[in-house]
Amino acid sequence: MAIRSLVSIVDDDESVRESLPDLLREFGFAAQAFSSAEEFLASNYVDETRCLILDIAMPGMSGPDLQRELTRRRKEIPIVFITAHGDETVRPRLIEQGAVECLFKPFSDTALLGALNAALETN
Amino acid sequence: MDVGLSTRASWVRSDHDERTGMENELSRVVDTLPGLVWTALPDGRIDFLNQRWCEYTGLSVDEVKKLGWQAAIHPDDLPHLVERWRCMLVSREQHEMEARLRRFDGEYRWFVFRVCPLADASGQVVKWCGINTDIEDRRRAEEAVRVHERRFQIIVDGLPMNATLRSPNGELEYANRHILEYLGTTLDEIKDWTPHNTVHPDDRPATLAAWKEALETGRPYEIECRRRGVDQIYRWFHMRGFPLRDTDGLIVNWYILASDIDDRKRAEALLAGEKRLLEMVAGGHSISGILEALCQLVESTVNGCRCSVVLVDPSGTYLEHSAAPSLPASFITSFDGLPVNVDSGPCALAAYLNEQVITADLRSETRWAVCAWYPMALAQGLRACWSMPIASTTSKVLGAFAIYYDEPKTPTPLHQSLIEQFLHIAGIVIERAQSDAALKRSEAFLAETRRLSSTGGFSKRGATGEITWSEEVYRMFEFDPAVPVTLGQILTRVHPEDIPSFDEMLNRQHSGSDYEHEYRLLMPDQSAKYLHVVAHATRDPDGQLEYIAAVQDVTQRRLSEEALGKARSELARVARVTSLGALTASIAHEVNQPLSGIITNASTCLRMLAADPPNVAGARETARRTIRDGNRASEVVTRLRTLFTKKDATIEPLDLNEATREVITLSLSELQRSRVMLRTELGDDVPLVTGDRVQLQQVILNLLLNAADAMSGLDDRPRQLVVRTELDEDDRVRLTVQDVGMGFEPNVAERLFDAFYTTKSGGMGIGLSISRSIIESHHGRLWAAPNDGPGATFSFSIPRRPEGVAGAGSPGAIWTSAVTDAQHVMRTR
Repeated sequence: MAIRSLVSIVDDDESVRESLPDLLREFGFAAQAFSSAEEFLASNYVDETRCLILDIAMPGMSGPDLQRELTRRRKEIPIVFITAHGDETVRPRLIEQGAVECLFKPFSDTALLGALNAALETN
Repeated sequence: MDVGLSTRASWVRSDHDERTGMENELSRVVDTLPGLVWTALPDGRIDFLNQRWCEYTGLSVDEVKKLGWQAAIHPDDLPHLVERWRCMLVSREQHEMEARLRRFDGEYRWFVFRVCPLADASGQVVKWCGINTDIEDRRRAEEAVRVHERRFQIIVDGLPMNATLRSPNGELEYANRHILEYLGTTLDEIKDWTPHNTVHPDDRPATLAAWKEALETGRPYEIECRRRGVDQIYRWFHMRGFPLRDTDGLIVNWYILASDIDDRKRAEALLAGEKRLLEMVAGGHSISGILEALCQLVESTVNGCRCSVVLVDPSGTYLEHSAAPSLPASFITSFDGLPVNVDSGPCALAAYLNEQVITADLRSETRWAVCAWYPMALAQGLRACWSMPIASTTSKVLGAFAIYYDEPKTPTPLHQSLIEQFLHIAGIVIERAQSDAALKRSEAFLAETRRLSSTGGFSKRGATGEITWSEEVYRMFEFDPAVPVTLGQILTRVHPEDIPSFDEMLNRQHSGSDYEHEYRLLMPDQSAKYLHVVAHATRDPDGQLEYIAAVQDVTQRRLSEEALGKARSELARVARVTSLGALTASIAHEVNQPLSGIITNASTCLRMLAADPPNVAGARETARRTIRDGNRASEVVTRLRTLFTKKDATIEPLDLNEATREVITLSLSELQRSRVMLRTELGDDVPLVTGDRVQLQQVILNLLLNAADAMSGLDDRPRQLVVRTELDEDDRVRLTVQDVGMGFEPNVAERLFDAFYTTKSGGMGIGLSISRSIIESHHGRLWAAPNDGPGATFSFSIPRRPEGVAGAGSPGAIWTSAVTDAQHVMRTR
């Protein structure tokens, strides 16, 4: 059996942490959820992670903060941002700074899958 | 003996046979005596000559009888000898005389003639007996000594120094011409003087001690001392005494040589004085102290004078800073403030003309009769006054110094040469002291400026990388000022995040261009400091690149800017929340979260069911979550509805002045940016009101920013804004915001407060509408009126806090309460 690519999810919203891993596994990925950027960085999954689904607004370190930290650490993990703030203006900026995609909650499963495939292709 | 001699008279005759044997015997004895022996008759005629006499002279007795003994005497000595001979014959006493006697071969030799009379019983001279002894060798030795002594005297007298010769026990034997002339005395006089009585009293003990020790030990000695000359002036001498010993090593004489070293001593004293003065300058002594020391140097170098110095003020118009340690203060301070002209006295005149002003005798002078100092100078007993201008190296007149004497005097060439040296020293010292003082003043000023502005300075040499910091920079970095700073040390303080930009700045230094840079320090206590550097590149005299930079600690500014930035974003957030758009966003976020969960779970559920075989357990779980998220969404909606129906604001007693000041503080930078001149007239007697602080502040802020906006296009007059609080009628408190902006037509005064009415291109027109609803919820009134002149005045008036009554909500609070709670919702995200 082929090794399944690990997709990590960082979101402070519990319902996302509950629901997304199941969907990702349905897509055929391995999935790990973290409630904060700090928790993710402290885990052993950073190097394994092939794609990161990252909430923008979180208490403590924000999504873009984590993105910068990973860049600083030279961890080139493709990132798909997700946000509940329907502010379209942030999207181009995030894409410009290296994000693969920025999805606005609620997003469809196909939109998510499209973003993940794009992210894994960049690997 | 009488018998013998009486018989000798007959030897010449030789006619008494009975005594022949004895006479022969005597004759042989006489002929053997080691001398030329002869006898003469009382009248002086020779009657006997011994054989040695005849052999020496080559003359026989007969020849002598015929020619006389004079024939054997040197013609030069003869007159004197004959004279003595006659004296002897008359005195009839024994005599001794010297003369040259010719030898048989014609050579003359010196002889001493010793002659004794032979008397009979009655005392009559019956015969003269003489013996001549050859003293040629002794005479020659004596002559040699005389020649030697003459030569010595010539040499010693010719020596260009003082020379004396003393006996082994110290008595003066000889003093050369030089010293006699210097002392103005003669050898005989000086022999009676007490030793060393011309030595300066201050030098006498040491000189005497050295001389005494030399006499006791027989060792040479050297000493420097002052001796008074015939002119009563002391001069410095270097004295050296050394003993002259004979072949047995015994001291025969003491030679004492003294050379005049007065010029050297004076040059040394002047040099030492100049050094001392420059040290005083370097040591930061007061100018008056330095000038006094200058006077003392002159007085100690020039005998019997008194000295004063006075400076000319920088503009060259009047005298200041005078000093004269040997004259009463009242005399010299009378110089201060005198104008530099022809009427203020010799020093002012010397400074004015930039040339010497010599007054040889004050009493016979009429020039100074009008000057105030003239009677004072006479009262001090001053008779001569020589004033000289002191010039800087650039020939600018710095001041004047004067030499005074108690007797009439004209400067000698020596005085003039000394004066020239003093003027040179004075010029250097005064110029240096003045420039040092100016430098100190400007340094103190700079230091004060730096301290006040928290600015330091540093220099960095391009070639060596050597860094020099001012004290302030050490303080900023909290480094020990005693340790020279290195780049490595600096880097330990630079904030890690700013290292890249710091490196970039270092690279830029190689280019030799000016730069400006701001970076942070991370101090050991983890606090951050913000430093702003402005660096200027220069070339030192050797052409090497050097940066001179000012460093300012801008931490306070940056921190307050940050605080202000936060406040501003807070304000922005407040403003955003007051807009419908922000409310919508907030609500959307609240709803989107559970909605997202619902959709994801639903998608997962579908996929699980579509799998082969279907994952029913998983699907059931995701369906359960979908229901839960649906409920959450419903809760959000319920909560929002509750927000909108909530009635109570946070009502509390509050000071409107204080609330106003807070708003002003927060918006000050915005107002400054808009070039608004704000005047606050907050009444002292304004009582407390009751209300919601945040809501009222939103109103005040809204009014302030509206006023600023209304004046934004204004360029023909100052953008004046007045905020006033005062006690209104009916126990109410009124706040007024008055601008000089574009104003409005009176007929639109009420429409201003309608929602969505706006005069601004970017405005939504809800600010004043919300503000009015807030004020009304506080039982107050908000209104606007155009000014008589340009601009408009917005005012609200709310009741003062009722005594003992707690605040209560009102229907008017609906909107604003919703706003406040929406803020709360935002903050929890």
